Amino acid sequence: MSDKTESTAKHLPLDGLRIGVYVCHCGKNINGTVRCEEVAQYAQGLPGVILARDSLYTCSEPGQEQIKGDIKEHDLNRVVVASCTPRLHEPTFRAACEAAGLNPYLLEMANIREHCSWVHLHDKDAATEKAKDLVAMAVSRAARLAPQTEVTVPVMRKAMVIGGGVAGIQAALDLADAGYKVYLVERSGSIGGRMAQIDKTFPTMDCSICILAPKMSEAGRHPNIELLTLSEVIGVQGHIGNFRVRVHKKARYVTNECTSCGDCISVCPQLAPDEFNAGLSIRRGIYIPFAQAVPSTFMIDMNICLNNQGIVACDRCFQACSKKCIDFADRDHELLLDVGTIVVATGVDVYDPTSLTELGYGKFPNVITTLEFERLINAGGPSSGELIRPSDRERPKRVAFLQCIGSRSKRSNPYCSNVCCMNTIKDALLIKEHWPDTEITVYYIDIRAFGKGFEDLFQRARREGVTFIRGIPGEIIEDLATDDLTLLGENTLLGTQYRSTVDMVILSVGIKPRQDSELLQRLLNLATDTDGFYMEAHPKLKPVDTTTGGVFIAGAAEGPKDIKDSVTQASAAASRANILMSKGEVKIPAITARIDPEKCTACGLCARVCPYHAIVGGKEEGNYRVIEAACQGCGACVPECRFGAIDQTHFTESQIVEQIDVALANDPHLKILAFACNWCSYAGADFAGVSRIQYPHNVRIIRTMCSARVSPAWIERAFTKGAGAVLVSGCHPADCHYNNANQNTARRVERFWRRMEKVGINKDRLRLAWISAAEGAQFAKVIREMEAGLKTIKPAEIENAAKKLLREAKKKSDVT
Amino acid sequence: MTIKIWKFFDREELYECYQCARCTGSCPAMEVTAALGPRGTILKCLNLGHEAVVQDEKVWFCCTCNVCDDRCPQKIPISELLVALRNSAARRGNVPSRLLLSLELLTKTGRTMIVHQLDEMRAHHGLAPLPPAPVDEVRAILKKTGLEEVLDF
Repeated sequence: MSDKTESTAKHLPLDGLRIGVYVCHCGKNINGTVRCEEVAQYAQGLPGVILARDSLYTCSEPGQEQIKGDIKEHDLNRVVVASCTPRLHEPTFRAACEAAGLNPYLLEMANIREHCSWVHLHDKDAATEKAKDLVAMAVSRAARLAPQTEVTVPVMRKAMVIGGGVAGIQAALDLADAGYKVYLVERSGSIGGRMAQIDKTFPTMDCSICILAPKMSEAGRHPNIELLTLSEVIGVQGHIGNFRVRVHKKARYVTNECTSCGDCISVCPQLAPDEFNAGLSIRRGIYIPFAQAVPSTFMIDMNICLNNQGIVACDRCFQACSKKCIDFADRDHELLLDVGTIVVATGVDVYDPTSLTELGYGKFPNVITTLEFERLINAGGPSSGELIRPSDRERPKRVAFLQCIGSRSKRSNPYCSNVCCMNTIKDALLIKEHWPDTEITVYYIDIRAFGKGFEDLFQRARREGVTFIRGIPGEIIEDLATDDLTLLGENTLLGTQYRSTVDMVILSVGIKPRQDSELLQRLLNLATDTDGFYMEAHPKLKPVDTTTGGVFIAGAAEGPKDIKDSVTQASAAASRANILMSKGEVKIPAITARIDPEKCTACGLCARVCPYHAIVGGKEEGNYRVIEAACQGCGACVPECRFGAIDQTHFTESQIVEQIDVALANDPHLKILAFACNWCSYAGADFAGVSRIQYPHNVRIIRTMCSARVSPAWIERAFTKGAGAVLVSGCHPADCHYNNANQNTARRVERFWRRMEKVGINKDRLRLAWISAAEGAQFAKVIREMEAGLKTIKPAEIENAAKKLLREAKKKSDVT
Repeated sequence: MTIKIWKFFDREELYECYQCARCTGSCPAMEVTAALGPRGTILKCLNLGHEAVVQDEKVWFCCTCNVCDDRCPQKIPISELLVALRNSAARRGNVPSRLLLSLELLTKTGRTMIVHQLDEMRAHHGLAPLPPAPVDEVRAILKKTGLEEVLDF
């Protein structure tokens, strides 16, 4: 195995190389820790390098012009930029190369900011030495780069929006207005989402449904929008520009001739809690979610309908319907839809405070949540807008709001839910508006009134007599006779204990990711942050893109946000999707796998590990081949081939083996060689840098697209070269960006562990770690632990192990 | 002998506290007396330093019911902090005199209170006198707890 890689590495021509190296100071970001001038001088002496410069900001216009000028003047045929992460500026420098007539794939970057200067802030010497190593690795890889041409694939001019809340409606309308066909997929019986349930909006106190309903009906009648209610996405295939989505559409049992006259309601004998009114009222078995629902069509809840499967021959609704719209023969069915782009706007769930037993929600009738309050105070709600308390239906005279319920807590959700402060202030003002004599107290920790017009509203609430007390009650006690509630707590600003009795308590509950958000996450290969919300491709610069090309996110599914932010983001997502579709085609990175038909023995192992079924062929045809448009470039197939017939474009065996060799050229026994996947672990290491989390400097990171690209031969090579420790890291098992290709990683590493055991090598020296893009701290922790482990291993042991492994590998190759 | 409290309690945990006062809201000691309270203790540790806290007799008002641990949204082991603080206070000689008296009784008689009167009451009701307390055993246990290192008695 090692022989194979050795020979491929040597066969590549190194003559005629003209490499230019650019070491970026990034102001003080890099130069404050790494002595950039020294690194540039060092680079000057590397094989193939004819020119090395350091500059203040390489990404600036003058910096790029310098590169372009040098390419022309010095006839450079490779460019190495040592600066920030390639995830940030690779496109910038590739464009600069292309503008100067150099193939963009002849650019290589060394990450000396996120992976070096920012994480070794206090050790300038070590950081400088590491930067030199990283530059040397990049130069060695650059020497083996080859020009590539990118394939363009067409982008279908149809879009899908998943989720019919205000964000989904906005995105669908924007795209439809731009002229694209849009499928708006909504799980419930009507679009409208959470905003339809809310009474008023902050800070303007607009009537929520009054401003939403026109948008809903516009979406309902738009010629370019196909509304799919009671529908869920159950399968997604394909890639950017060409997705094939499977949608499960549940039966409505009422045809769309329904005029929603409501004659059927009174005759229906079945009752259920009304979900739209947060369970505060009841609805019939045949119902419409709410008056303004779009589509304005009734539906039958088959879970409670007596005529389910014809168990009881109840057809009262059918008899009552003058237009005969009831169709008991309606059945669920599946749709296959082809779209070019997808916008995910699935929204959020509301936190259920039942588990906080000290507050008595679910036990004391007069403790309610803010969502229940919204329905109570809404004119279309169960009490027709009269504020009453559940126990005796009397109007409460003393009302308390409790903030941060289910937010900012390790017992529930650690993040701030963003909307609850302003929502409470709005609710308090609503009560004051209708019943000014009500005593209102808001128990809070911090009031976060950060948005436009928010502080004004907060001050207005205080002027109108709402009392704000800093300190959340620790206990609520119910008076059994009156159902009144006594709150026990401390006013932290006065430093005194309070014990106050109120008629009703409203828990300002937080919001959380949809319970089943994981399903869509897997179908679309999305990433989630540590809180479970869908993650954006870049938190600042790509806030509505996801890591899956052609898929965008909008609304609270990305993180807690209010209506205005949701609408803003929805328009942004629609605009991003529009860019793709109006161009009509997209370039696919030239990183696909290639099979050498000469070497292929048609064993078919590669086709079995391909997560995209992109490898076809068979024994009859004599070989297998890769369908380039379907290949996503994970490289999982490459290590699977026993005959060295497969290689991955731009991440070739020889390029990476060369990187390994250079990384381990000096003091290998002190070094940790880390393989990190582009999407999660490499990004996680970047995040450690951005967060300035310090970790040992002896780690050298090699990037692959997927951890499944990591070949056992590389691990073997690292150990035979005397590496102290090797880390293989990728996305968490279910979060792999290549359809669980990383299960191959786990399998291969486990096999290597068994081999290490058999040969008698300390298997702790090879570590497998799942690190997500949000887990910078975890990356640093893993490296610290590996460093601690490395300290217990003697250099002689490492040398001995390398010999053992070499001997065993030789024996193996002799047999085969 | 002084000892750094942060050996026994992870100081990092304190920074997680955002003073929501859920702990003091359910603190029984705060109900009956002007105790320092878990929230106040944490704030004083953070702002005034641990020395200021361990000088205060109020650290002894906690009745270790541990409800604050249960209520804390940040899962800070507050009761552990309070115990560590009292250890630290004891090493500086800040121990309430009545507590010292109880300790003295415990080491001498194996009980924290004088029981002669109790025996008379028991005889009145026809009950046998209390058996003698195993003083040696109690002492051995106290020795094992390391109490001697903290207090002279």
